[in-house]
Amino acid sequence: MNTSSDRWLAYFMILPVVAAVLAFVIGPTWDVATLSLTQVVMGQERGFGTLNNFRALAADPMFALVLKNTAIWILGGTILCVMTGLAVGTFLAIDSKMTTGLRALILLPWVLPDVVTAMAWKWMLHGQVGVIGSTLQSAGLTEQQISFLGDPDLVMWTLVVVLIWRKMPLVALILCAAIRSVPNEQIEASRMDGANAFERFRFVVIPNIAFSLTAVTVISMIWITAEFALPWIMTGGGPANTSQIMSTYIYQQSFEFFSWGVASAMSVVNLVMLMVIVALYLYVNRKSWATGAAS
Amino acid sequence: MGSVTLNNIRKSYGAVEVLHGIDLQVEDGEFTVLVGPSGCGKSTLLRAIAGLETISDGEISLDGQVINHLPPKRRDIAMVFQNYALYPHMTVAKNMGFSLRLAKESKAEIDRKVQAAADILDLAPLLERYPKQLSGGQRQRVAMGRAIVRDPEVFLFDEPLSNLDAKLRVQMRSEIKELHQRLRTTTVYVTHDQIEAMTMADKIVVMRGGHVEQTGSPLELYDRPVNVFVAGFIGSPAMNFIEAVVQGGNVLTSDGAMLGPAPESLSDGARVTAGIRPEDIILADSGAEAKVGLIEPTGAETQLTLRMQGASMVMTTRDRITLSPGDAVHIRVAEGKLRLFDIQSEAAIR
Ligand SMILES: Nc1ncnc2c1ncn2[C@@H]1O[C@H](COP(=O)(O)OP(=O)(O)O)[C@@H](O)[C@H]1O
Ligand SMILES: [Mg+2]
Repeated sequence: MNTSSDRWLAYFMILPVVAAVLAFVIGPTWDVATLSLTQVVMGQERGFGTLNNFRALAADPMFALVLKNTAIWILGGTILCVMTGLAVGTFLAIDSKMTTGLRALILLPWVLPDVVTAMAWKWMLHGQVGVIGSTLQSAGLTEQQISFLGDPDLVMWTLVVVLIWRKMPLVALILCAAIRSVPNEQIEASRMDGANAFERFRFVVIPNIAFSLTAVTVISMIWITAEFALPWIMTGGGPANTSQIMSTYIYQQSFEFFSWGVASAMSVVNLVMLMVIVALYLYVNRKSWATGAAS
Repeated sequence: MGSVTLNNIRKSYGAVEVLHGIDLQVEDGEFTVLVGPSGCGKSTLLRAIAGLETISDGEISLDGQVINHLPPKRRDIAMVFQNYALYPHMTVAKNMGFSLRLAKESKAEIDRKVQAAADILDLAPLLERYPKQLSGGQRQRVAMGRAIVRDPEVFLFDEPLSNLDAKLRVQMRSEIKELHQRLRTTTVYVTHDQIEAMTMADKIVVMRGGHVEQTGSPLELYDRPVNVFVAGFIGSPAMNFIEAVVQGGNVLTSDGAMLGPAPESLSDGARVTAGIRPEDIILADSGAEAKVGLIEPTGAETQLTLRMQGASMVMTTRDRITLSPGDAVHIRVAEGKLRLFDIQSEAAIR
């Protein structure tokens, strides 16, 4: 029997990956977690074992606004991203020459670099020279040219729209593939059973793609939480912090104000929130991914 | 009532026509089997009746009402698919009750009908299971249950047994047949297996290349095939075909052995294809000469492969024989059992 040497070989083979995960994921996470419990003054560490960073965070009048904006960003972004992705994916799943071409084309926003996307949209949405605002104005739809990124009431949702433009294509493609793999016989059986198009979608397609749907939702949520370049380049959190979200605020706190401690505390809050949301979501959807993974 | 009439059904995919004008009458309560080799258009025809496929031309009517343009849900026809097509996320009960749920029937009514169908099919203990927890035969029964609960005018089956192993196939065959005898619902059943067709059908429709070759009861097709194709397709082992010539009112093989009398319509020198069923070949003291090739006993009967000049024939006999491979024998054709076909058109000569 050489099963035990086989096992050691297996451990040895995964060692590089384990080491990399330890070094680049667990390590920094640990660092941030300990840093959040450390008093930092002007970039200097002054004593471990304090909740002062969290107290400061709770007392920060900005933090509530950041939380609200982050909720719009993550929850609004994820829900809209998956919903539009599902709609577009359903459309792309139809067999025709047009959709075959579109399936390739739709990945374009996905392959553009973040910076290019952000700059292009920033320019198109600009308050004076933006092509979108001026088009709306010259078409007579608005009185004056709208400054999408300059209006405190619009800025957050404008960011979400750009976010969806950027993240939705992959979601749509994944869901398109999932929809196309729904067995045709099931669709036909449901037609025989008397289901109309909506009922076929609701009772046959959706349950069949539930696993993919859960997966893309979780993945989108994580992507969107981690997305930094897009909002930072487009608004930098402005105007007057009305588009400040967790990732930009953490960046500002650490690299502009050098409040490492508070920034770390915020990172921890961010991580815990994300984990709770994902765990909750997976729990609510446990049936779909349990059956999906089994089959 | 559930009589189906097909009138000149044509179906093309792009420029390719796969059904070339099918006429068919299925009587109320009849068990009709569409049989033919793979790709001959059986599924296409069945799906056209179901409404899953549009037709390019012709008329489908149910009880005299033209239903061509009705969607599947309004045709009152249920279908059982080859791969069962159960909904994996629904329990057996939900699968069976789905059509009723869509039809907005009451919960109590759905439960009652599902229970009744489950009792008929011995599915009652499985109602709360999911399809993946069932064996192939049980899934097949659930697929049938889903059709039964709707109490439709017509059942359609598309090769429902081809995914089952041989033993289960025989068992399900008789279950489906019994179910039909019990419910008396008009049934159209597609298979490429002629044994399934012979054992189950009230009426067999033999198809080839998008045409109907012959329609009739199993024994009609067996005894009076209209052409070489039907004669060769129906029956197992298949009918033997050899070239023959008419001489002096008799049909002779190419080396002059006598096969049987020729009908009066054939004149001397006419060339024909002679068809002889394996069980109609008899070992005799005189007659055509042959050498024994393979001997395959199956218990009840024995199958012999006989080598003749330029031809090879299969015969079956219920007698216990004492021959061995290589032995020379004489054979003749049982009286009145010789079938003749036109050598060009392959049509039967009566
Ligand atoms: N969707 C389709 N597009 C093009 N040709 C098809 C399509 N479906 C079936 N066919 C063709 O129609 C013919 C009949 O097919 P089918 O009815 O499935 O045969 P069977 O069920 O008798 O095996 C075949 O030659 C097949 O290639
Ligand atoms: Mg078929």
